[in-house]
Amino acid sequence: MGKRFSRGGFDTTAGGGGAGASSRKRQKVVHEGPTHEEIHASRQLSQLLAFGQDAVRLRHGLQSFKIFLDHMLSGDDNNGVDDKADRSAILRDYLRSVQPRESGDNGGEGSQQPYVTDIMQTWSFANQTNNENLMSAVPVVLALLLKVLSRSLEMVPFGLGICRTLLQKRQLELISRNLSADKGKAFIISPTLRMLREAVSFDGGAVAKALFRARASTFKSLVRNMGIVHMGEEAEDEKKPSPRTTAVLFFLSAIKYLHAEAKKELVSQRDIVAALTRDLKQDPPYLVLEMLAKLREGVLMDDKVPKEAKGGLLNVSTLVRIAGLYQYRQAEDSKLPSVVDAAHGFLMTACTTPGCGVLRMDQGFYPRDVDLEAVLPPAELDELGLEAIVWMNRYKKEIPVRNYTLANFLPNLRPWASVKQSDLVTAIFKVAPELVAAYFRENKSFTFDPKLSATWIGYAAFLFKTVTLPLPEHFSRGSGFPQLPPPTTVVIDNILPLPLNQKALVRCLTNKSNMVSFFATRILVVAMEKLDAAVKMYQHPSHTNGALWAEAARRLVDEFCQRIPGMKDMINSYRSIPETDILHREAASRLLRLCYEVTPQVALMAKFDVSPFLEKSLGQLSEQKHEDARDLAMSLKELESLLAIAGYSPGMRWFSTSEALALSPFTMLLKACVDAPNGVSLDGIRRALDSVAVEQQLVPAQDGHPGLLPLLEALQSLGQSSPEVIAHIWAFLDNCLTRCGTSPIKYLEMIQEHAQGLNSSETEAVASPLAVTILEQLAFAISAGDKDVLGGLGKFLPKLFGLLATAGESKALLDAIYAKIAAQFRGSKLKLAHKKIPEGAVFKQNVWPPKERKPTRRANETTSSNAPKTSEEAMDDDELQATLGVDDSLVVDNSALVKWATKAVDELIDDGYVISLIKLLASEHASIRKEALVNILKAAARIRESEHEEKEQIWLLLSELAETARAGHIETGPLPSPAVAFACHALTALRDPLSSLYPKINQFLVRGPAWNLDRLPLVDEVLLEEPAVGDSYYAQVNWLLGYLIEGLRTPKDLELFHKRRAKGPVLEWVLALAANPYMRLPLRTQVLRFLYRITGIEGGSTTLTTRFGIVNWLEAQEKACAEGNEAEKMLTRMYSGLKGWVWRTCDQERAGRWSKGGIKELL
Amino acid sequence: MSDPQPRKTDKEVSSEFTSYYLQRATKEFAEDLDKVRTADDFKNDAIHVLVNALQQGTAMFAPEKQRRVVETKLTK
Repeated sequence: MGKRFSRGGFDTTAGGGGAGASSRKRQKVVHEGPTHEEIHASRQLSQLLAFGQDAVRLRHGLQSFKIFLDHMLSGDDNNGVDDKADRSAILRDYLRSVQPRESGDNGGEGSQQPYVTDIMQTWSFANQTNNENLMSAVPVVLALLLKVLSRSLEMVPFGLGICRTLLQKRQLELISRNLSADKGKAFIISPTLRMLREAVSFDGGAVAKALFRARASTFKSLVRNMGIVHMGEEAEDEKKPSPRTTAVLFFLSAIKYLHAEAKKELVSQRDIVAALTRDLKQDPPYLVLEMLAKLREGVLMDDKVPKEAKGGLLNVSTLVRIAGLYQYRQAEDSKLPSVVDAAHGFLMTACTTPGCGVLRMDQGFYPRDVDLEAVLPPAELDELGLEAIVWMNRYKKEIPVRNYTLANFLPNLRPWASVKQSDLVTAIFKVAPELVAAYFRENKSFTFDPKLSATWIGYAAFLFKTVTLPLPEHFSRGSGFPQLPPPTTVVIDNILPLPLNQKALVRCLTNKSNMVSFFATRILVVAMEKLDAAVKMYQHPSHTNGALWAEAARRLVDEFCQRIPGMKDMINSYRSIPETDILHREAASRLLRLCYEVTPQVALMAKFDVSPFLEKSLGQLSEQKHEDARDLAMSLKELESLLAIAGYSPGMRWFSTSEALALSPFTMLLKACVDAPNGVSLDGIRRALDSVAVEQQLVPAQDGHPGLLPLLEALQSLGQSSPEVIAHIWAFLDNCLTRCGTSPIKYLEMIQEHAQGLNSSETEAVASPLAVTILEQLAFAISAGDKDVLGGLGKFLPKLFGLLATAGESKALLDAIYAKIAAQFRGSKLKLAHKKIPEGAVFKQNVWPPKERKPTRRANETTSSNAPKTSEEAMDDDELQATLGVDDSLVVDNSALVKWATKAVDELIDDGYVISLIKLLASEHASIRKEALVNILKAAARIRESEHEEKEQIWLLLSELAETARAGHIETGPLPSPAVAFACHALTALRDPLSSLYPKINQFLVRGPAWNLDRLPLVDEVLLEEPAVGDSYYAQVNWLLGYLIEGLRTPKDLELFHKRRAKGPVLEWVLALAANPYMRLPLRTQVLRFLYRITGIEGGSTTLTTRFGIVNWLEAQEKACAEGNEAEKMLTRMYSGLKGWVWRTCDQERAGRWSKGGIKELL
Repeated sequence: MSDPQPRKTDKEVSSEFTSYYLQRATKEFAEDLDKVRTADDFKNDAIHVLVNALQQGTAMFAPEKQRRVVETKLTK
């Protein structure tokens, strides 16, 4: 495109006279502006415009008329004529005088008499004489005239007449000639386009249709003219628009007034569409805004324009060019709306509205080439599962999509660099879910490796937004789920897009920048929640192929676990967050909680003791450091997550105090509830407290008993009436709660003793065991003689007992206990506020009676990942495997023999190198075992020489293991699996001196240089002896079961479990564990995992059936499950499923004989 | 606080929570944010991207949870 000469309209440029200009040869041009005169009368105007052969006079007349019209448009009346009305009258009179007298036929444009004949003749003359100045001057005047006429209703008929005149053949030829003038002749082209624009929009587009019909002339050279852009350094002057600008404006006016059919034809022309947007980035802002608005109204939103035509306009290159406007530079002081906003709005509409021709209906998470209607033979599905679906594993590299325009458009956007582009991409993902997986599979160049930069943050934000997108209902567009589940790769890519791989996420979590780890944590939180939602959809009861969907769900979860960081990394990340970073801590604790709820297989692999975190969080809460109430509320959310985790972890120590904490976690929580400012919602914490109180038998478990509410009410009431007193009684109360919680039986018996002391009708009387604990401990408090404490209790106890009575506990029993309390007070000469239990105590701080109370199990236990199905049907084999199956972790890796040698001692111990060596002792090959033994001894020696804090114990453990292995003749066979598993688990426990197993393992190690391989280490110590560390009994049982399960691999291993011992076989002890009514879902499940593991060993199910009556045991457990509770339902399903499984896997003939057909009958 | 305050609309709650979240995040990551501001690629839209990235975490809180945080008072 050549540079355009700065020759403007005819008013600024003088040609060398009409005759001179006809010569092709360039002559020296004498610039002489046209002359003009002021117009005072219509007759004068007629004379000025009258046609003649004198080109100079004709120019003079047109120029005078132009200035006259300019004044009318600008309203500038300082040039001799009094007012606008006069000018209008002059014009009207003139037009009347030149109006065609009689039009013979009003119907056809061609047959009509021409309007403004003189001007039209002048145009023809200019054309014949090739007078370019006149060729320009005529359309200039006509454009202005039409503009003036369009403003007055009275004048409209004249304007229409002129428009129709333009449509006559002669004029069309002139228009065509003007439009196709040399591209350097902008001063001819632009006014002509301006005139056409006025004509097409005149009187609401009255002649638009006719103008379009004459498109051979009126749209002549449009594409070429759209390409004649403004050249030069400075921005285009709005008053002197380039031919491109005028051509585009004409086109847009045509779009506005034309009918759908015509618009379809226009936008279907590729060259026009291409020309329209080619130079978009350089166009002045008003033109871009106009274009976006007109195309949106006139094409996108016009339902009559067919989708295909719209699609023709909105092809990839148009979209890319419009997206180029995201970088449009607009003057800061521009009064126009923002071009970037307009372009964004346009693209949002164009790309996400179904009727705009870009967006196509996809199949959700099912790629384009999957036939959702295809039916696979059920037998094949039953036999092969997901493997029967040929396309299930196909989409690892490429995913065919229906939205190819959008798929090709998306890579041109930079969502990490701009919020709007990120919004656009995610909005497209939302309406076309098939694109998410395809986008990330095909654009692999961008990695998520952490870097503290704007780009990384932008990318993280974009990924977060992508992950938060909802899953398509039914994974597809149908009204129900398709028969087959969607490809796992597509679903997982929507939950954790490809850049979010394990390596990158671990690097983010361990990054030294807290913000990087915060962003990664947030993404993981929303991904976990999305996975949970997806799994629920897989488990929907409406699936006809439940087993197949269950298999797919397992695969999805497995795939997810492969992509997320290990639990250890998440725990370490949480641990490293500064205490003051409450947003970060909230997110990280929520992530851990979700791990327990959504992927328990990952969470339970790591030994995570939540108590220290809970203690820390409670400690902070009690210090009440928060100045902002909202910070407090946010910290409470963290606390809620931790409480939920505590509910899932089998070994939470509710009643143990530590050096860091004056009170036990339970009392701390209680205190937090009492101290919490009004308006802080504590429902979650209260629920947790209540369920612990019931489980630990602090309060009676009877239905209808309000649990801890009376205690809480009494404390809150005391806090209100005597705030200075309450601080003194916490230590006493904690002592009572701890004692009652750790030895509930003792106090239950004391209650019974008190009840028996009453008359016979009260032997079944109910009272809180806490009441007698208080009575028992009061004696010590009185002998200690702290007046503050006793003064506080003097006020508190009457309140508490009054409320216990109101709550429905036995008044007689409470009276009896209270009387003893009162007697102790009398003895001490200290004052008890009431001598008898006050009557009619009222709950003021809490709602009474409580609206709803779930007496036994914690609410959050219901949200287990293996969400219960609606009915309590038995688990099928697949579900059993998913819930109870534990992989064989003693699989040997021979490379462990060499790997450890180059590692530091810390790594040997913490990263599992030593454990890998230990596992080799279970290898089938004698040479490997021998080699392992040598290496274990070498490693032990190295550890002993190191600075490791636990070096002595670990050395001892390894040395004893080596000694045991030698004595056990590893030359002839592998070391029994339980010994190997014990060594591995003991090593992990020894690493952490705070582990509750630490003392027991050390005691075990100092007992002798080698272990008795006929015995299972620590079974009696854990199951029969005191836990030694606080209330860690359940944690220790969990640890024990963990190693026992791992140690069950061969029939020989199993023998150790059912072998006769003085105290009975170990297996019996494990079964007896389940008799504990307070054991919760995780530990019960662990017992069932243990049994399930045995069924996998040859002869295991038969042994269980014939030696241990397992079917009856399972039957009894199933019947003991309470109704209504989700966790119980889950257990019922497990028991029932396992029963069937044991029968199917045992020697049925033998078991049948043994039970005399009883089992079969039972089943 | 004798007279009860009128209940905030969801919109008010959301905007108040967003501003709290942003303010809190800016405080917690002040040091990192300073580093980002001096990074080579911090130009044009970067500030919007940053603000947007920080505050989008509000999506993790359901409206009723946002209300709980916003309406918490420190008065006894």
